[in-house]
Amino acid sequence: MVENGKPILVIGGGMAGMTAAIEAAEAGAHVVLVEKEASLGGRVARTNLYFPKLCPPGCGLEINFRRIKNNPRIEVLTLASVESLSGAPGDYEVRVKLAPRYVTSACTACGECARVCPAERSDEFNLGLSRTKAAYLPHAMAYPAYYVIDRAACPDGCTACQEACRYNAIELDQREEQRTYRASAVIAATGWSPYDATRIENLGYGRLKNVVTNVILERLAAPSGPTGGRILRPSDGKPPESVVFIQCAGSRDENHLPYCSAVCCAASLKQATYVRSLYPEARITIFYIDIRTPGRLEDFYRQAAAGGIELIKGKAAKIEEDAATGDLVVTAEDVMNGRRTAVRASLVVLATGIVPNTEGLPAGFARDEFRFAVNPPGLKGLYAAGCVRRPEEVSATVQDATAAALKALQCAGRSARHA
Amino acid sequence: MAETLLVQPDTKFLREVIGSGGADLKKCYQCATCSVVCTLSTDEAPFPRRQMLAAQWGLKDRVLSDPAIWLCHNCGDCTTHCPRGARPGDVFGALRREAIKYFTWPRFLGRWVNNPQMLPLLVLVPLLLFGALWAWGPEADSVYPGRMEFANQFPIPVLEALFFSLSGFVLLSFAIGMTRFVRALRAGGATAPILANLPGTLAEIATHRRFADCGAERTRYWGHLLTLWGFVGLAAVGTIVGLGHMAGLVHTPLAATSPLKIFANLAAAGSLIGVAILVADRAGDPLKRTRSTYFDWFFLIVLAGVIVTGFASQFLRQGQVPGMYLVYYVHLVLIFLLLGYAPYSKLAHFCYRTVAMAAVRERREAIMLENRSKGS
Repeated sequence: MVENGKPILVIGGGMAGMTAAIEAAEAGAHVVLVEKEASLGGRVARTNLYFPKLCPPGCGLEINFRRIKNNPRIEVLTLASVESLSGAPGDYEVRVKLAPRYVTSACTACGECARVCPAERSDEFNLGLSRTKAAYLPHAMAYPAYYVIDRAACPDGCTACQEACRYNAIELDQREEQRTYRASAVIAATGWSPYDATRIENLGYGRLKNVVTNVILERLAAPSGPTGGRILRPSDGKPPESVVFIQCAGSRDENHLPYCSAVCCAASLKQATYVRSLYPEARITIFYIDIRTPGRLEDFYRQAAAGGIELIKGKAAKIEEDAATGDLVVTAEDVMNGRRTAVRASLVVLATGIVPNTEGLPAGFARDEFRFAVNPPGLKGLYAAGCVRRPEEVSATVQDATAAALKALQCAGRSARHA
Repeated sequence: MAETLLVQPDTKFLREVIGSGGADLKKCYQCATCSVVCTLSTDEAPFPRRQMLAAQWGLKDRVLSDPAIWLCHNCGDCTTHCPRGARPGDVFGALRREAIKYFTWPRFLGRWVNNPQMLPLLVLVPLLLFGALWAWGPEADSVYPGRMEFANQFPIPVLEALFFSLSGFVLLSFAIGMTRFVRALRAGGATAPILANLPGTLAEIATHRRFADCGAERTRYWGHLLTLWGFVGLAAVGTIVGLGHMAGLVHTPLAATSPLKIFANLAAAGSLIGVAILVADRAGDPLKRTRSTYFDWFFLIVLAGVIVTGFASQFLRQGQVPGMYLVYYVHLVLIFLLLGYAPYSKLAHFCYRTVAMAAVRERREAIMLENRSKGS
């Protein structure tokens, strides 16, 4: 009914990509979902709690995984990237490169391979804060729930995992594969990356141990994270006595990201709230230029602010370290009283902003002056959705992705009629 | 909360600030990064964030009587860190110029000297003045027969009368300007005893201590230090020779080996190196740290011109080259521009800055002592 025999191709398997794929498939279309990592879920899977409800994203992810699993019209490609895109609305040719996983679908995730594996690698799911074996499951609720082998980390000639696998699921001689798909429409949902905070020199990230970013704090706070959710500071593994959040760390700054990243204010309020419930005695301070919590998030802001969190209007522009304790002194001008103030903190969290992942987008997608993908009026067949298009919270991403699915369905339907 | 503030923006003032130097003023969104990165700003009265707001609102009286605009040494740290490109350092430069225009006397000269369109008229005055002197002065050889000397064309008694009356006018102008400025500072709450604080403040200026604290590159520190000291040296020699000549104690031209002559040449050389550094710094830094305006260039170029033509006059006279009178004529014109327009040009900053620093000196001293005891 809605397609011309060619699937809709979705690039990116995070919240936006999964939503677009599911919505299109549940409307009857065939979908190819291309994910560059070994499992779906993207940034949302790395999130501790959602705002404003303060619930973990696990249940939402699980529902989406189930919808994908139960839908025969969705083909999921992991460790896959789009090499090239050509053609016109209704008939695109997409070349996809699939990196070998070295583990087949016979894997039962029993974990025997990891137990015998002698090598380790940095765990990118925990943003490098922890290590996994070279044979690893991307994370506890990974979908697809198959192990992966990081061959770059394997010792030469080691076949320990292959020998240990009772299901013969490990094929260490797998090769990279190229596939060509024909698609009626393409949705880019490549998401975002946190801004490289080392470039904000005066805030000391990368130089001062106890300065972390908001995405790192999500991992430190997550039960599945490197500190088991106890938020221990990096220098000495102690619980923090005082936490300072610095808003607009890179965002709204011509020297870094000229735009507002839209979600960091609510994210910091959320983080301040869960730090407060974990450490009721901790002093929590948020330095901000403006608190931007539009719509119903205004209530969330009021509730969070009422929870014993100190909000100081003034951008923190200097951080100095007390070498003896690893504590940090954060300086800002308190704009409301016109005096410069310094706050001592055991942990500083930079609210780093959203950088769209448009670098590897195939030709054809348009970009704006901030490098976000745009859907120009009149451009058909190629649609961007989620944070690659604009900085937005998860719920807005879901709506955006649903809209993109509808656009892709319309495109497919038009070309089917004309065919 | 019951207090009501009626904000009456002075839009003409806003246009002046935005039109020359402070073009990006309105981009400021009050994040206060500038007040933190500024190494000269204090915890109790940080700047420039607050002054940016007052300037945006067109609160002319308030912002121009704020001593903070003179506590800034224009290193540009605020400008390079500003997330909005509002360039607070440049806005402060424009505010300092507006302050000079606002407090000086007579005000119309303040407007003229800072308006490039009036430059021809301003140059015409000394051109005609010294041109008349040259044309109708005594015949060549009348004073120093057989030798070319400047006094042959520009008789010393006339020059003395002219420059001393000009100096008198300049001093009167500064006196009125400073009176107005001090009254405004007092009204704004800067209460330290200015006269009592002058020695300490001058010592601070002489050593450029605040300049050294400023985030500016070392080259600018040396450029300004050399310019200042050379200029002070030249002004001192000029005054001594002038007064000495009137008293009949000094006879010009001074011998090339006279200590005063040697001192003057050293001072001129130091000042010239300093000015060259400052010019190179401004020319080589288009819009990165500081924006340069007519206000900056007028002063720097006139000062450089005075020194260059002074050296040239001296050498041409020693070589008895006929062009020496023309060069000396240009030299006199430039001195007139430098001295006569001092209360209205950037040169006036030495008065305003000194007074402003003295007016808040006790507060700064107390803070510095406090910081030192904190550090120990």
